[in-house]
Amino acid sequence: MNINKSNPLLLHPLNKWMKKKKWSWFPHQIETFHHVRTGSDVVVFAPTGAGKTLTGFINPIDDLIKLKKFKGLHTLYISPLKSLANDIVRNLEKPIKELDLKISFQVRTGDTTPYKKQKQKQKPPNILITTPESLALLNSYENAKEFFFNLKYIIIDEIHTFLDNKRADLLSLNIERLQTFSPNLQRIGLSATLKNKQDAKKWLCRKKPKIVSYENSVLPKIKILESKERIPWSGHMATYSINEIYKEIMKSKLTIIFVNTRAQAEYMFKNLWLINKKKLKIAVHHGSLEKNLRLKVENNLSKGLVDCVVATSSLELGLDYGDVEKIIQVGAPKGINRLLQRVGRSNHNLNTPSKAILVPTNRFEFIEAKAAIEEIKNNNLDKIDLKEGSFDVVAQHIFATACAGQFDINHLYSEIIKAYPYKKLKLNDFKQLINLIQDGGYVLKNYDQFKRIFQLRENKNIYKLVNRRETRKYRMNVGTIIENPMLKIKLGTKTLGNIEEVFIQNLSQSDSFIFAGQVLEFQSMKNNLVQVKRSKSLISKIPSYSGGRMPLSTNLANSVRALLAKSNMRDLYPDQITEWLKRQKNISKIPKKDEYLVEQFPRKKNFYTVIYTFAGWHANQTLGFLLLRGFKEFNYKPLGFVANDYAIVLWSLKEVKEIKKILNIGLLDKHLDNYLEETSIVKRLFRDNAIISCLIERRLPGMEKTGKQVLFSSDLIYTVLKKNEPDHILLKSSYEDAKKNMIDYDRLREILKKIDKKIILKKLTSISPLAVPIILEINRENLSKKETDEYILEDLENEILKEANVLSIN
Amino acid sequence: MYYQLINFGNEEFHAYPNKSLYWKRLNTLIVSDLHIGKSISYAKNKQFLPPYDTKEILNKIFVSFDKIKPNNLIVVGDLLHDVFSTLSIKDQDYKNLSQYMKNTDFIWIKGNHDKNIQIEGFKNFTNYKIEKFLFTHIPIETSLFQICGHYHPKVKISHRGKTIFKTCFVHNEKIFILPSFGILTGGLDIHAKQISDVLGKNNLSIYPVGQDKVYKL
Repeated sequence: MNINKSNPLLLHPLNKWMKKKKWSWFPHQIETFHHVRTGSDVVVFAPTGAGKTLTGFINPIDDLIKLKKFKGLHTLYISPLKSLANDIVRNLEKPIKELDLKISFQVRTGDTTPYKKQKQKQKPPNILITTPESLALLNSYENAKEFFFNLKYIIIDEIHTFLDNKRADLLSLNIERLQTFSPNLQRIGLSATLKNKQDAKKWLCRKKPKIVSYENSVLPKIKILESKERIPWSGHMATYSINEIYKEIMKSKLTIIFVNTRAQAEYMFKNLWLINKKKLKIAVHHGSLEKNLRLKVENNLSKGLVDCVVATSSLELGLDYGDVEKIIQVGAPKGINRLLQRVGRSNHNLNTPSKAILVPTNRFEFIEAKAAIEEIKNNNLDKIDLKEGSFDVVAQHIFATACAGQFDINHLYSEIIKAYPYKKLKLNDFKQLINLIQDGGYVLKNYDQFKRIFQLRENKNIYKLVNRRETRKYRMNVGTIIENPMLKIKLGTKTLGNIEEVFIQNLSQSDSFIFAGQVLEFQSMKNNLVQVKRSKSLISKIPSYSGGRMPLSTNLANSVRALLAKSNMRDLYPDQITEWLKRQKNISKIPKKDEYLVEQFPRKKNFYTVIYTFAGWHANQTLGFLLLRGFKEFNYKPLGFVANDYAIVLWSLKEVKEIKKILNIGLLDKHLDNYLEETSIVKRLFRDNAIISCLIERRLPGMEKTGKQVLFSSDLIYTVLKKNEPDHILLKSSYEDAKKNMIDYDRLREILKKIDKKIILKKLTSISPLAVPIILEINRENLSKKETDEYILEDLENEILKEANVLSIN
Repeated sequence: MYYQLINFGNEEFHAYPNKSLYWKRLNTLIVSDLHIGKSISYAKNKQFLPPYDTKEILNKIFVSFDKIKPNNLIVVGDLLHDVFSTLSIKDQDYKNLSQYMKNTDFIWIKGNHDKNIQIEGFKNFTNYKIEKFLFTHIPIETSLFQICGHYHPKVKISHRGKTIFKTCFVHNEKIFILPSFGILTGGLDIHAKQISDVLGKNNLSIYPVGQDKVYKL
């Protein structure tokens, strides 16, 4: 086929510009243009560097030129990040300015000034580039309908980041609202390549759904760091290979080192500085750093003013840094998609391969890294599982709807269930969410005189906001991202960033810790500000961030198992790994792909049970708690357990004789509810639910609440509700969230359903080579919060009594 | 119920994990800062807390009464959260309360939250003196031993690398502060300025309240 002749884009207003730049249209751009023009909703899958952003704008620009001086809002562009939104504007500006096209475009995010926002509402641009939260806000204004009346396109950028979380739920509800306002609206999604493209299509598309896909044929070049050092048994800090990493940085013009947690980032950065004899310019970048510090690093990166940046997922998405030559991934890749995304940050040229080096920090991670490289060769990506939408987001949306004006609940319900995540939302649950916004939704009707929304007397289906003042509360609470309670860190008058309150609470004055690459000494905490000064101390703590854990994807877990089962070890691994696995083979067994190896052995008076599930940390953690209960029931006197991505180890006073009777699907049915009751998981999620659903406020105008206070009062509400109204919709919602996100319920269920027939039980006389890494991780208490509190009090009291030489009077 | 023995002003008091204090010699139960009706008061501002606090607080009182059978009940302030609070007391609860109060002397000290509120049949006082003890919501200038509330004291405990916050009973030589008996009430660190202005920073006796036990630090 002669593409030039049949290419309608040769008549496109941008064609002149493309020609001038000596660029040609990509096949997926031509295809997208055609589908959208013929009325389809489309999801476009293309790698970075394949003109993805432009692809989204081809139809809007064509329309706008043909319509001539179109007044009002025509196209909405949704970006997952504020910084990306600004970047899009810069990219759009080039062709529009150079060709002098009569198209207006602006950005609107949380950073836009109120003055500018007001002007945008009076005189909207043709193209508005914004975020899901800003869209939700726009939809909550009384004139939303007029504002969006003529909207023709909505473009969702990086749609793969919007498929499986609450932000996606919020966005989906607001897209349906736009569709109601403007029935002719067409949807265009732009995505990195995905395994389950059909799911992304289902999520977004309604009208003649189409998928357009462009695969990159140039595979990235990924290898594992060839280290002469001994790879450690456990740990996550890669200290062993720091000199070799440094050499790799020296070899390339510009390197990004990706790590998995903020703590790792600080640690890696500090260690690189300690050996930085060549005075390389090394910077650190993570989500807790102050915005200005982050922007500075990003700026230096794009101008090529640094040699190396140590970063977390904070640099995964976003701007193109053309000069990055090499990616170093330190620590386990955890998932194929994530690794590809990271690797793709180097060399933004479609025809040359990206280059990356993986640095496993322990022996299991070596196997994981190896497996990840295999899967990328085979183009076997991770699936992103679509999830059912969360209730709390619906509640927030109901509140937003009420802010925009009175509404009919039947209309609202039928609009909501058009959104893919809420297809199965039950009318009864929806009505409870209406009640939740109305007066908290409690069975005990105490608040009749204090409602937030009320039914009209003449039509009980129509609800109305009691008081316009409430709109302000909605606007303070919009969004689904809830940060842990954080405190600002101040060095002199300069703000360095945010740190978790929990971490600071455990510091005493003059303790030192590492943050933003500096060793700091804790001085005082006042009004939510942490005052620090520079410290010369060599011993320092590193803040941990509870959100840092990324679970191992099922896909990658499966390939790790498959790889382990392969017999030709010598070709796969360096000698030290081969030796380790060979010994395992001799002493115990290496499990086959579908087998679950269970090892049992005595050690230091206790009895150990190790189960290799490869189920990821979340599922293993849950399984550990459940097994603890199972062991108790059989009177094995369990003492504790530790889980990582690959395995669980439990230790008990007595020998566990009937493991097969415990480790099966019955375990889940029998103990899960009790487990959820007792851990703080649901309680923590309840806090998020209470804030997202606007039951409690993030902060009140003029009355700054500290994060701690919000946490505190939501805990009280949780306790009172559980006792008095266990069926309350927000408890149900938190429980569902726990199942979906925190405990990996579905994954665990899948494993337990089939596990009993596939257990390979090995009774050993001592610890096996494969068990060494997880045994080394045993170092923490595994008690629930309630138990921990009592334990601390008891212990402290005893200590004091001992000190005072008084015997307990008990 | 386990209690913790507290010696204050050369008298024996018992601190209970339900956050009440018992004066054995005079068979007197002392509680503070119940904040009955806090949830309904918040509902005015469309903050919909679960409306079960009033019932739970009263039940806690009733349980104490059944166990201890005190002759006197002293509330050292903030019995009610505000004027709306009585709305949250159900008829049945009110009847029960009146029944319990029949054989009990009820001394209701006014707090900052309920100083202007009256309930039929219940008299209230600015402060109340028994022997060398003065019961008052907020401590005043006096040579008497004072038993008060108002501050909802909590203590921060750091031990073996962990930090927890616990509601507590706390006193110095002359002033005793009760924890809040309420359900939806927060707390204030005893080292916060408001409390240390009253108690000072040193020589405090602190009794954190655990699940089923009051501890002594």
